[in-house]
Amino acid sequence: MTPLLSVEGLRVAYRSSAGERRAVDDVSFAINPREIVALVGESGSGKSSVGLSTMGILPDNARVGPGSAIRFEGRDLLTLPEPAMRDLRGRRMAMVFQDPAAALNPVMRVGDQVAEVALVHGERDRRKARDAAIDMLTRVGLPDAATQYRSWPHELSGGMRQRVMLAIALLLKPALVIADEPTSALDVTIQAQVLRLLVELQREFGMAVLFITHDLGVVAETCDRAIVMQRGRLVESASVDDLFHAPQHPYTRELLAAMPRLDRAP
Amino acid sequence: MNPSTALVSVRDLRVVHQRAGFGPVRHVVAVDGISFDVARGETLALVGESGSGKTSAARALLRLIDTAGGSISYDGIDLLALRGEQLRVHRKRMQVVFQDPYSSLNPRHSVATIVGEGLIVHGLARGAAIEHRVVQLLEEVGLGADDLHRLPRELSGGQRQRVAIARALAVDPEFLVLDEAVSALDVTTQAQVLALIARLRDSRKLTCLFIAHNLAVVQQVATNIAVMYRGRIVEQAPCAQLFTRPSHEYTRALLDAVPAGDPRQRRIRTPTSAT
Repeated sequence: MTPLLSVEGLRVAYRSSAGERRAVDDVSFAINPREIVALVGESGSGKSSVGLSTMGILPDNARVGPGSAIRFEGRDLLTLPEPAMRDLRGRRMAMVFQDPAAALNPVMRVGDQVAEVALVHGERDRRKARDAAIDMLTRVGLPDAATQYRSWPHELSGGMRQRVMLAIALLLKPALVIADEPTSALDVTIQAQVLRLLVELQREFGMAVLFITHDLGVVAETCDRAIVMQRGRLVESASVDDLFHAPQHPYTRELLAAMPRLDRAP
Repeated sequence: MNPSTALVSVRDLRVVHQRAGFGPVRHVVAVDGISFDVARGETLALVGESGSGKTSAARALLRLIDTAGGSISYDGIDLLALRGEQLRVHRKRMQVVFQDPYSSLNPRHSVATIVGEGLIVHGLARGAAIEHRVVQLLEEVGLGADDLHRLPRELSGGQRQRVAIARALAVDPEFLVLDEAVSALDVTTQAQVLALIARLRDSRKLTCLFIAHNLAVVQQVATNIAVMYRGRIVEQAPCAQLFTRPSHEYTRALLDAVPAGDPRQRRIRTPTSAT
């Protein structure tokens, strides 16, 4: 099978007054269509930089190293001009961030933020964009979406805001969704609901998901394969079953040991 | 439990928040008549999701916010009756560690100032003895003299939370409230800070109120658990019993929400739910 996304020898460094700090160091992996792949690591492991590189939204002080390539649907995203990237973003690939309170525009009604995705990708009929947004908001479980369309982000709970983010990401049924800690800021009960929704939608729309997280509990529940990063390097890549039952790298074992579980004696 | 053996005894506590905005002031009942005891040396976990009232209950207990009813007895003292100097002196006995060390540590103060402030305010040390004591406290939480002059932004999340713990311990309290103290940390850091809390609790014989939304985290430190839902305590039980025989529907929902941590025991993406 041709992979949907293939990251090859990716290097990312950040410049600051203190010098250059390497965030991603020679990372390679691939994701097949319809696959859910976890990118696991802790703060500072470089996992988010991989997601931002793929979306082409690294901050200005970031530099992608020579020899890096990110192939998606037959094109190298790192050499693609910005208008072509803009066309891909939201249509073929989309991103869901950890904190929907920060990612949503606070002074725009949530429904309009969903409809905007259709409008910037060529939909000229505002009513059609609005109807599509209401349908998607209904699909992600926003109660009474036609009315809630007019809500402001601050009027929604954290779980509902994350559902709105999913509606924005999924509106045009992209082939790849990059979810960066999408449930880490949520309570466990809400986390379970949002994960269940994400997994349902993934199956329904046939998309691939790159699931960036530090929480192996979430990985065990949702992913097919996992890639483990530590200090910018890829240290292990395996099926989730192998990762949990035959971890190879000491860091993976450390992460597994630290995972809060109910079945462990207090 | 016999209230006389409890260090903290809460009865019918109510907390009502006023929400001001455009139009009339709205009243939100955050804590709706809860009662619990915390025995000396015990760690009671108060568990519930956002909005369940657990943080409001803890803040009322710390006398950081006003109560709308009920009573709090602390070592036989009527805590809600304390005023002014009496309350100030009492604060030395109960300390708190908040969830977010980014917002609970003054970004312009060095670690030495943050940890030493309580010693000065409560007259526990003066002159060179302050720094000496601060270093001892830092070493107790796994930091050291090298960290004295660092600012919060120069520390990792786990280090910041260790500073917050050292600050709480500086005045030698007997009662420690940990409000989601490990929820914002990465899993390995979370495990380390939890282990630190358990160790300090034992070495200092602390009585703790541990607030969290994740039962799997609570299991590692709690002796008893009270589950809060919409301002009320719906179930209260010793730790082991709550996990093996939860009696309330909401407790079972909380338990079910914790990932099993094994892809062979998936509940969210099951073979039938995913092709």
